[in-house]
Amino acid sequence: MILGIESSCDESAVAVFDPAKGMADEWVHSQIALHEAYGGVVPDLASREHLQHFGPLLQRALAAVPAERISQIAVTNGPGLAACLAMGLSTAKSLGLAWRVPVVGVNHLRAHAFSPFIALHAAAPADFDAEFAKLLPHLGLLVSGGNTALFSIDESRRIRLLASTMDDAAGEALDKGAKLLGLGYPGGPQVEKLATTGNPAAFAFPKAVARRSSLEFSFSGLKTSLRYQLEKMTPADIERRRADLCASYQHAVFDQLVRKTQLALERGDCRSFGLSGGVANNKTLQAGLAQVARRQGVPYLCAQPQHTGDNAGMIAFAAWAEREAGGVNEAGLALQIEPSLMLAGG
Amino acid sequence: MDSSISARLRAGVTTASAEATRSLAAELAATLPPDTTLALHGDMGVGKTTFVQGLARGLGVREPVTSPTFAIYNVHRGTTHTLVHLDAYRLEHERQVESLLLEEFLTNPWCLAVEWPEKIAAWLPANAWHLTLSIVDSDRHRVQLR
Repeated sequence: MILGIESSCDESAVAVFDPAKGMADEWVHSQIALHEAYGGVVPDLASREHLQHFGPLLQRALAAVPAERISQIAVTNGPGLAACLAMGLSTAKSLGLAWRVPVVGVNHLRAHAFSPFIALHAAAPADFDAEFAKLLPHLGLLVSGGNTALFSIDESRRIRLLASTMDDAAGEALDKGAKLLGLGYPGGPQVEKLATTGNPAAFAFPKAVARRSSLEFSFSGLKTSLRYQLEKMTPADIERRRADLCASYQHAVFDQLVRKTQLALERGDCRSFGLSGGVANNKTLQAGLAQVARRQGVPYLCAQPQHTGDNAGMIAFAAWAEREAGGVNEAGLALQIEPSLMLAGG
Repeated sequence: MDSSISARLRAGVTTASAEATRSLAAELAATLPPDTTLALHGDMGVGKTTFVQGLARGLGVREPVTSPTFAIYNVHRGTTHTLVHLDAYRLEHERQVESLLLEEFLTNPWCLAVEWPEKIAAWLPANAWHLTLSIVDSDRHRVQLR
């Protein structure tokens, strides 16, 4: 079985994945409550927290799965906050030394890319290779607080980057929009909640980027246009129309994601579509993308909620799913942190 | 610094589009002495990252310059300067800048562009250039050197 370890940002996570059976179990300690007061993750607080939480998390994991059954340790080695990644790597290397099992480094973004397929594997582990092959080439959209990218996975399970954001990530645009609207942290989920009771057509935010024929994303102009809008309104107006503002702003962000996905699918060379990353939990976004996939006649997959944010299950799974595609770093005890690791080349 | 752009920025320059803001920053970049810190003041959405994109272009950076909010800082290698783009928004104390090991990346000649500089005011070098960005009205933004 593969022990996964993840510490790239503010989540300390451990998981055990059994290629023959599926995810044995997973454990996460989130620091959201701690960072709420700061309006975002504070790096040196986050790394101290990892130091504190990995011990107890591993105790729980080892109470469920005896150490003798672990045959490999998979750890996130980038991208992420350097001090946080280092905590996970030193934990993984210590265990690797103590248990005499290999340690491999996993690219956090590539693990997200494979995360929509964890459920496919769980449904029938023995048939996974055959079922997965039917879905390739695959088009994936990764949407989170730090990344927005369209990519493909080819028949050899190799990932190619098709487009990414020119400025802010989609999740960041939602978080910063929430801040402009006076909502708390993390902002994305609060915007989603308020948006459900608002009118997405109440305010018109620019659609120029969404309508361009290039696949590249750009969200900083939307943030500025929200600012223009708010400056024209009195605090009482903003308060009264907050739901409409959230719905319209979220619609503008998602419209870009949906249109670019449609453009990429219209190229016609992908046999499935998958959504991953923290923003993948948003029901409105899921509905928009599922509709695009249906129209293009390709199966729609979405990572399960426990695999959308930072988690170790996807790290252990990717170490296995990507094992022959060259995506796993086999430096072992010489493994280094790579804070600026990219999803893949173009 | 080239006296004309310095004088124009001191008086304040109004730009009518994001592209005009980038061009202005690129023009400034071409006159930057080595090892300059630019403190970019201004609220969310006033165009700080857009300004840094223009700086990057002027410094000969080829890769895209995206928001550093998630990673705190990004390092870009330009043809004339190394550009370090720091977002201090989530830093609470000057002491936290020390732990970023920025000095390791400030290879000579460098340009350090700092968003939310007021968060780490005491850490900034005394000779830092302070630019204030603001919104005049829809599409028109203003950049002024203090």
